[in-house]
Amino acid sequence: MTTMTSTAGETAVRRPTPSSPAAARRPRRQGGTILALPALVWYLVFMVGPLVAIFVVAALRWPGMLQPVSFAGFDNVRTVLDDPVFWDAVSNTAIQLVVAVPVMVVCAYMLGYYVAQKPPGHKVIRYLLFIPGLISTPAKAMVFYAALSPDGLVNGGLKAVGLGSLADAWLASPSTALACLIALDIWAGIGFTAVLFAARLGSVPEEIGEAAQLDGAGHWRTMWRIHFPVIRDYVGVVTMLQFLWTLFGSAQHVLLLTQGGPGSSSTTLSFLVYQKAFIAADLGYSQTVGVFLFLTGLVGLLAIRRAFRRNH
Amino acid sequence: MKSANHSRLGRSWLPAHILVWLYAVLLVVPLYYFVASAFKTNEEIFASPFALPSSFGLGNFGTAFHSADLGLAVVNSALVTVFSLVLTLALSIPAAFALARSTGRLASLVESVFSLGFLIPTFAALFPTFLLAAATGLFHTRTFMILFLPATAMPLSVVILVQFMRTVPREMEEAARMDGASTFAVLRHVYTPMCLPGIATVLLLNFLTFWNEYLYSLVIIGPDPAQRTVQVALPTLKSITGTDYGVLTAGTVLTLVPVWIVYTVLQKRMQQALVSGAVKM
Repeated sequence: MTTMTSTAGETAVRRPTPSSPAAARRPRRQGGTILALPALVWYLVFMVGPLVAIFVVAALRWPGMLQPVSFAGFDNVRTVLDDPVFWDAVSNTAIQLVVAVPVMVVCAYMLGYYVAQKPPGHKVIRYLLFIPGLISTPAKAMVFYAALSPDGLVNGGLKAVGLGSLADAWLASPSTALACLIALDIWAGIGFTAVLFAARLGSVPEEIGEAAQLDGAGHWRTMWRIHFPVIRDYVGVVTMLQFLWTLFGSAQHVLLLTQGGPGSSSTTLSFLVYQKAFIAADLGYSQTVGVFLFLTGLVGLLAIRRAFRRNH
Repeated sequence: MKSANHSRLGRSWLPAHILVWLYAVLLVVPLYYFVASAFKTNEEIFASPFALPSSFGLGNFGTAFHSADLGLAVVNSALVTVFSLVLTLALSIPAAFALARSTGRLASLVESVFSLGFLIPTFAALFPTFLLAAATGLFHTRTFMILFLPATAMPLSVVILVQFMRTVPREMEEAARMDGASTFAVLRHVYTPMCLPGIATVLLLNFLTFWNEYLYSLVIIGPDPAQRTVQVALPTLKSITGTDYGVLTAGTVLTLVPVWIVYTVLQKRMQQALVSGAVKM
């Protein structure tokens, strides 16, 4: 099948020398699509298989690894929807996404534009912006732990400038725990995203910006009215990725910094998946939330794509 | 050109300069604090968090190394990273080679499977992957991670390599074929050497992700000090040492060293790799 199509497609594409000896000596295709097989199998077994399994486990009653398993149908969905913790997680995740992703993308876009103008010191800035992209999640979490713990950097700084009364146990206080996690997303997200925008803006022809400047447009205008439409698609893709990273990646930050607490004040959906599977051992519940998370990701992805599609 | 640039960025840019450098400070200060604190005692850290350390003793590093078995953890991380990288290349280079040269419908289907896979967040299937590890009898082993990590890297690696391989002119292959080269020889002597920059990109990107991988390593390899990777060992310092920030920061700095060395040596290439690897669809 492949043999036929690839040979046919090939002669159709490569016209100039139809009677070249090489072509004549090539009865089978020169492709070897089979070489793609190991990678594909690997990918299906380790990535797609487990992904499908989420949906299966979500329909099971499975109260722990070594417990008997039985079919539950939609019972898990009912349990999840009746659980106030789930709704806390939904609202925490919603707040996290609505605050972190737009702030990150807008700031990163402006920062990327700034760097792309090559102001003095832009090389140093560029070097520094890569930092959050290089360090691991546990290391980032340690940075925030050291900064935000009761006798950490932030409280030390507040005391030093005479605002000691504002000091708080940031990570352990229900009113600030989620905000700390969002701050971590934004702190780490802006830098690397800005580098991506800067790289993309660097390939926009300079004349476009210069023409706008000659017409008397300020940088603010040039940035949003001239450059933004040019790289709009790219901004859309980056927003999609940041959305996914924030939605799914928050489990690690929560696990390392707040464990979802105090209470459920910083429990996000992806942490709930982790917590129900590996701490509470309620596997059907966990994977039902997993399905929900997956669908949220899908819907969000399509919504963002729609929002960024050119509509003129 | 230079002066034009400067006049373009006139006084109205002052707020922008200030904000950008403020963010730069926010990026640097924690790192400075970490490196400086790694050489201090708790008393020094609390008394003067931003002062330079008074001495450069390596005591904290020793303690961190000891109490969390970081030495062994570094070896484990290195093992997992290196073997996963080898396997990633062994799988993705032939796949990219096949996909780049083939024009069949099946090949383009496979290619779109990989480019869509780029959108599947690894975290999604944590628990089923854990089941898979248990079912294969590889639970609590580094082996499973070595098998698993390349699968997570497959979409990006294949997509990047295919792009590089498409730039190899057909004539090169035809010439080699005339000399009687087999498909494998074409891959080995024509495509691989010409795609070294792409291979370097794939290696660098995956080096970062594999070395920094946390959640799967935690769940699948587990807390056993003989097996665990450095990213899993690092957070345990928090509970082992209580609030000995000197040791905590020293441990963190230690785990950053390999990445830092690679970044400094290969800065340009690394930046290119990160930029090109982030958005590929």
